[in-house]
Amino acid sequence: MNALIFSAVSGVIMMFSSFLLNNKNSVRVLAHVLLLATIIANIFELRGISFFHIDTRGMLEFDRFALLFTLVANVCTFAFFLLSSRDLEKIGNHYSDYFSLLFFILAGIVVSSSFKSLLMLFLGIEILSIPLYILTGSDKRNLKSNEASLKYFLMGSFSTGLMLMGIALIYGATGTFQTGITVAEKVPVLLITGMMLLLFSMSFKVSAAPFHFWTPDVYDGAPTVVTSFMATVVKAAGFIAFMRLFAEEFGSIRPEWKLLVGIVAAVTLFIGNITAVFQQSVKRMLAYSSISQAGFMMLAIYSLSNDAKEGLILYAAAYSLATIGIFAVLVRMKDYTFEGFNGFAKQQPFLAGILVVFLLSLAGIPLTAGFLSKFYMLKATIDGGSLALAIFAVLMAAVSVYYYFRLIQSMYFKTGNATISGTTTGFKYTLAALAGITILLGIFPNLLTNWLYF
Amino acid sequence: MGITQILFWILAITAIFSALMVVISKNPVYSVLWLIVTFFTISGHYILLNAQFLAVVNIIVYAGAIMVLFLFVIMLMNLNKETEPQKSKWLKLAGAVAGGCLLLVLVAGLRHTEKQMTEMVTGDIGLIQNLGKVLFKDYVVPFEISSILFLSAMVGAVVLGKKEPRIPVETEMRKVEETQQAINI
Amino acid sequence: MFHLLQTNVTQTVSDASSAGSYFPVGIQLLFVVGMIGFLMVVTHLLGPKRHTSDKLQTFSSGIESHGDARQPMAIKYFLVAILFVLFDVEVIFFYPYAVNFRGLGWSGFWAVLMFVAFFLCGFIYIIKKGALDWED
Repeated sequence: MNALIFSAVSGVIMMFSSFLLNNKNSVRVLAHVLLLATIIANIFELRGISFFHIDTRGMLEFDRFALLFTLVANVCTFAFFLLSSRDLEKIGNHYSDYFSLLFFILAGIVVSSSFKSLLMLFLGIEILSIPLYILTGSDKRNLKSNEASLKYFLMGSFSTGLMLMGIALIYGATGTFQTGITVAEKVPVLLITGMMLLLFSMSFKVSAAPFHFWTPDVYDGAPTVVTSFMATVVKAAGFIAFMRLFAEEFGSIRPEWKLLVGIVAAVTLFIGNITAVFQQSVKRMLAYSSISQAGFMMLAIYSLSNDAKEGLILYAAAYSLATIGIFAVLVRMKDYTFEGFNGFAKQQPFLAGILVVFLLSLAGIPLTAGFLSKFYMLKATIDGGSLALAIFAVLMAAVSVYYYFRLIQSMYFKTGNATISGTTTGFKYTLAALAGITILLGIFPNLLTNWLYF
Repeated sequence: MGITQILFWILAITAIFSALMVVISKNPVYSVLWLIVTFFTISGHYILLNAQFLAVVNIIVYAGAIMVLFLFVIMLMNLNKETEPQKSKWLKLAGAVAGGCLLLVLVAGLRHTEKQMTEMVTGDIGLIQNLGKVLFKDYVVPFEISSILFLSAMVGAVVLGKKEPRIPVETEMRKVEETQQAINI
Repeated sequence: MFHLLQTNVTQTVSDASSAGSYFPVGIQLLFVVGMIGFLMVVTHLLGPKRHTSDKLQTFSSGIESHGDARQPMAIKYFLVAILFVLFDVEVIFFYPYAVNFRGLGWSGFWAVLMFVAFFLCGFIYIIKKGALDWED
C-alpha cells in the first residue's frame, strides 16, 4: 500500500512540477527524490511497517512476493532514471509529464502485482498500459513513433477486451471476482473458456508467441528511452501478474492449462531466438531478445513452484538491469545497427567492458545473475516434470549466445568508428554499479531471494 | 411467452443485427451509427435486467460521448474512397475462421452451462441505490484507484493532443533572418 | 436461458423502482418512433419528386461549393471531447453517491472527496497547461 500511494501521489506532484519549477534539472532531481522516497516506503512495508491502514476488502494483498517485486521494479526504475532521464528530455516538451506517466505506471505495477480480485487485475493492467501507449507515441513528429503507438493501442485494447470477456465468463462461472476459487470435480466450461481468454490476453501483454507480433514494431518505433522501460520493468510486471493469476485463480485447474502454457513457452523461445539471429539493428535484436527472455519467464508459470517464484523475481531483476544498461548505451549511439558498434572497445574500453557483462548476463553465462535465474527456471521446469521442455530451453539459450556475442564481436574484433555522445563520468559509474549488481546477484542470489522469507 | 420474453427476443435480434452491420458497413460513419443502435439495444437489455442506472449511463456515456469521439476520429482521418486500404481475401478468410472458432467455443461453453450458475438472489441488484452501496462500500478501493487511470488519461490527452510551442524553431528562424540581414548589410 | 431476465414486467408495474415502471416510457418511445417513421414514409409517398442538378447540389448558402467536405479537422476538438468524456464519467459516479448520501455516512464522503480531489488536480493541471485554450 505504501508504494501504491507514494507512486500515485508522486505522479500527481510531477504533474504540477512543471508549473512550480521552471528548470528541467530541478524537475529531474524531484523525480529522483520522489522515487527514492517510494523505494524507502516500500522497504518499510517489506519490513512490516505500513504507513497506511486501509481496508482493501480483500481486493489487494501485499504479500512478500508482491512487495519484493515492487521493490525490484522500483529499483530498476531508479536505475533507469539515473541512466536515461536526461534522454527523456529529447523526446518532446512535456518533460515533467513523462515522469508523471512513469509514476502512474509504477502505481499500476503495484496494483497488478498484488491483486486478489480480477477487477484489480484489470485496473492494474490498464493503469500500466495506458501511459505506455502515450509514451510510445510521445515523439510526435516521428511517424514511426506514431505508428507504433497506434498499433500498440489498437492491439492492446483488443487484448484488454479479451481479458474483460474472460473475467466476465469467470464471474459467470463462479459468481465472484475474488481469486482463489475452488472447483468441484467437473470444471465448468465457462471457467475454461474464461481461463483461455485470460491466457491469451496476458500472453499478449507479456509478448509471448504467438501473440508477439506487435512487439518488434512497437519496440522499434517507440523512442529508445521508452523502449528501455517498457521492455524491462513493465514486461516483468506483466509476468508477475500472469504468475499470480495462474497460481491463485487457476491453480486448482492446473491440468487444464499446463500443456498449453508449455507450448506457448516453447514457441516463444523458438520464435524469439531464431528471429533475433537475423536482425541487423541492435534495437530490433533487443526487441526479439525480450521475446525470447519472455519464453524463459513463461517457464516459471509452467512450473509454479517456490523455485519458480524465486527464479522469476531474480529473472526480472537480472533481465531488467542488464537490458536497461544496454539500452542506456544504445540511446547515446549514433548508429543503432551492429556495424555502428564496430570498434567500440577501442574508443570506450570501460563502457565496452560493462556492456560485455550485461550481454553475458542476458546470454546466461555463469557468474552473472542471468545464469542463475535461467538455472532456477530450468530447475523448476524439471521438477515440474518436463525434461524435454528444459532441454529445448537450453538449446534455445545456446542459440541466443550467438546474437549476444555478435555484438561483443563487433565491439572488440571489428574496426570502425563507433560514435557515442554524452557519456559523463556519473553515467559510467552508474553503469558500473549496475554491472556490479549483476555479478553480485550472480554469485549471491540469496541477497535478493531471502527477502521473500525474512 | 410473456412480454419480457418477447422484448428480449426483439432486443437480442436487433442487437446482433446492428452489431453485424457495424462490421459489414462500407462507410465508417454508418458503422458508428449502427454502433449507436447497438448501444441502445444493450441499454434495453439493462432495463430488462432491472438495471436502469446502467441503461441510462450506457446511453449518456457510450451513445452520447464516446460515439462523438468515434465520429471525431473518423473525421480526423482522411477517409476518402481512394485511400481505403485493400485487404487481401486470405486475411478476411482467416479472420472469419478465427472469429467463427471463437463463436463455436463460446456457444459450446454456454450450452453446457448449468442454469442456476449465476442467478442473482433478487432482481433489484442493478438498482441505483444498491449499486451505490456496493460501489462505495465493497468496491471503494477500485473506485479510488480508477482515479489514477483517469489522471493518466488526462496527462496523456495533454501530452499527445496539445500543440507543442515551437519556440526552438522560431528562435532558429530569427537566427536565420538575423544572419541574412547581417549579410545584406 | 430466461433466468437471466430478472423481473416479470407485468407483475411489477406498481413498483416504482422496477423495469415495469418503464412501460409507459416504452409505449411513448414506440409511439414517437412510429410517428416519425410514418410521417417520413407518408411525405416520401405523397410529395412530388422533381430532381434537377441544381436541386441536388449541396446547399451552402447560395455559394458554389468546392472541395471535399472530408477535411481532417483540428486536434483541438478532439482534446476537448476527450476531456469532456473523462469529466462526464466522473459526474456519473455522483449519482449513486447522491442516492445513498445519508446511508453511506462519513466513510462514503471521504471516499468521494478523495476521488474528487484527484479529479480537481487533473482539472487544475488541464487549465494550467492551457489544454482548453482555443487560440495558441
